Amino acid sequence: MGIETLAIVLGLAMLAALALGLWVSLALTAVAVLGIVIATSVPVGTVLATTFWGKLNSWELTALPMFIWMGEILFRSKLSEDMFAGLAPWMRGLPGRLLHVNILGCTIFAAVSGSSAATTATIGRMALPELSQRGYDPRIAIGTLAGSGTLGLLIPPSIILIVYGAATEQSIARLFIAGVLPGFMLAVLFMGFTAIWALTNKDKMPAAEPPIPLRERMAATRRLIPIILLIVAVIGSIYAGLASPTEAAAVGVFCALILSWLSGTLTKDSFTQALLGATRTSCMIAFILAGAAFLTVAMGYTRIPRELASWIGVMELSPYALLAALTLFFIILGCFLDGISIVVLTTSIILPMVQAAGIDPIWFGIFLVLVVEMSQITPPVGFNLFVIQGMTGRNIFQVALYALPFFGLLVLGTVLLVIFPEIALWLPETMLSNR
Amino acid sequence: MRAILDGLYRASSAAAAVCLCMIASLVLVQVFGRILDGTLRALDMPIAGITVPSLNEIAGFLFVAATFLALAATLRQADHIRVSMLIKVVPLGVRRILEAVVLIIATAIAAYAAYHAVLQVVDSIQFSTVSFGVIAIPLWIPQTALAIGLVVFAIALADELITVITSGTPTYQAHEEAKSEILQKPVITPEDAERGMS
Repeated sequence: MGIETLAIVLGLAMLAALALGLWVSLALTAVAVLGIVIATSVPVGTVLATTFWGKLNSWELTALPMFIWMGEILFRSKLSEDMFAGLAPWMRGLPGRLLHVNILGCTIFAAVSGSSAATTATIGRMALPELSQRGYDPRIAIGTLAGSGTLGLLIPPSIILIVYGAATEQSIARLFIAGVLPGFMLAVLFMGFTAIWALTNKDKMPAAEPPIPLRERMAATRRLIPIILLIVAVIGSIYAGLASPTEAAAVGVFCALILSWLSGTLTKDSFTQALLGATRTSCMIAFILAGAAFLTVAMGYTRIPRELASWIGVMELSPYALLAALTLFFIILGCFLDGISIVVLTTSIILPMVQAAGIDPIWFGIFLVLVVEMSQITPPVGFNLFVIQGMTGRNIFQVALYALPFFGLLVLGTVLLVIFPEIALWLPETMLSNR
Repeated sequence: MRAILDGLYRASSAAAAVCLCMIASLVLVQVFGRILDGTLRALDMPIAGITVPSLNEIAGFLFVAATFLALAATLRQADHIRVSMLIKVVPLGVRRILEAVVLIIATAIAAYAAYHAVLQVVDSIQFSTVSFGVIAIPLWIPQTALAIGLVVFAIALADELITVITSGTPTYQAHEEAKSEILQKPVITPEDAERGMS
């Protein structure tokens, strides 16, 4: 079988397996088996077992369950209330007022959690009812939440960057640090848009509330201090080279347990639930990674990625044109697939092509996460949409419509990242230890 | 039979959870040992030297064990992701057939992987392979956890297949639907929404 035919057969097999409803991890494994059987005569089963074992048995990956666990503990604590109470008093003076609580709350929670669904749910649980009670237009309230919830993916600790780092053998610490500035940039874009929207849509904003005296504001914000300390400790120690991501994550779990104990939400029940939840989420992601690792090996045998890379090389596409084409491709893919599946499929097949085009793999990781963030708010499959549908009862297409401006801002953010790659690459270069 | 199988899945996921606790504890011992030594050194005192030998390897092994042992529980709670768009829109009868086809493929892959994972363990025992670290750990120990996890996963998939064929609804379906429809109960009532819109 020629390589073109093989590529088409495997592509169709993948589409069919996914559309049929086969679990993503198993679909990856199945297509890999098919590829190896057709292209070579190597013993498939042995390759499968050694890849599953060899790829998952890694110190770097151990950060994954730890960060997931930390997020699960905090998700079950009083953080949601504290965040609203601590942020709201300061936002009253800004145009857009309490809408900014959505954005800043998500930004802060994103810095302790690696998942965008958890970020959206934690902040939305408190902020949506409050905003709606105060008469904010639900369209913008929901839109800001859906948009800024995606920050959970980019701002470290980021589960998806761990997946990307593990799949491409890039330093997870550097990827984390590279995600900080782009995360801030997006938060600023979101806040700027919300402020402009509020100024131009004064009729849709509720009447202003009286400002709160500074002392009361400080008192309310004190509740946020522990969480800020936790963020500084986790990200700061990685940046300073004091701790590897795994170590920072384990300390994060420990601190999260203490925080939840101090706030009285740590019970035997909540501990077990958080632990089992973390066990399952980590299992789901790790098994997809195992399938993806096996697919990468299989793809190596079929030589498809190499052919693809040289084909792109022959076309002499500029990096900009390549990135534009990839962005479009990922947006379409993102309508049907979740972020982690997109990342692992990309790293198995497209990465050699990207590297052949001379694109920095750390930068590409950040770019990929930005594009994957868009997939969180595009219907019919978008995890933030599902979460918000669950909270508001509005269907996902409606929610997606409210989130559309933020989709646009994500595209704008991606364009800025392409024009100014330093947004992602400057901070990692200043890291104290270059691991 | 039902009770035995449910017990098997529960025990397997409990073992996975214990692995995660062990990772956290071992890493914390290592970190606090380092902090203690740093403090002692700053005070010009002899260091305590508390470290966990071969931590990097042991944590990796525990992670593999945690991942594979949790497979069955993750399946039953519908935490393994898939594209369920098609399966959700087709009529009930077609859905049942689709679900069965998916489960047959899944069971076959899982059983195939489980078989080769067991062979891997046999190989490691035969050649007495050990890890490279300070403590030479026989590789068959963590690899056995991988194999057991895949075997239990294959059993859980076959179990679901039989359930679909006999009663039509897989165990994970209820969780899957709960996940996509209501994560929490609606927090904005229609009245709230009306007020906001006007």
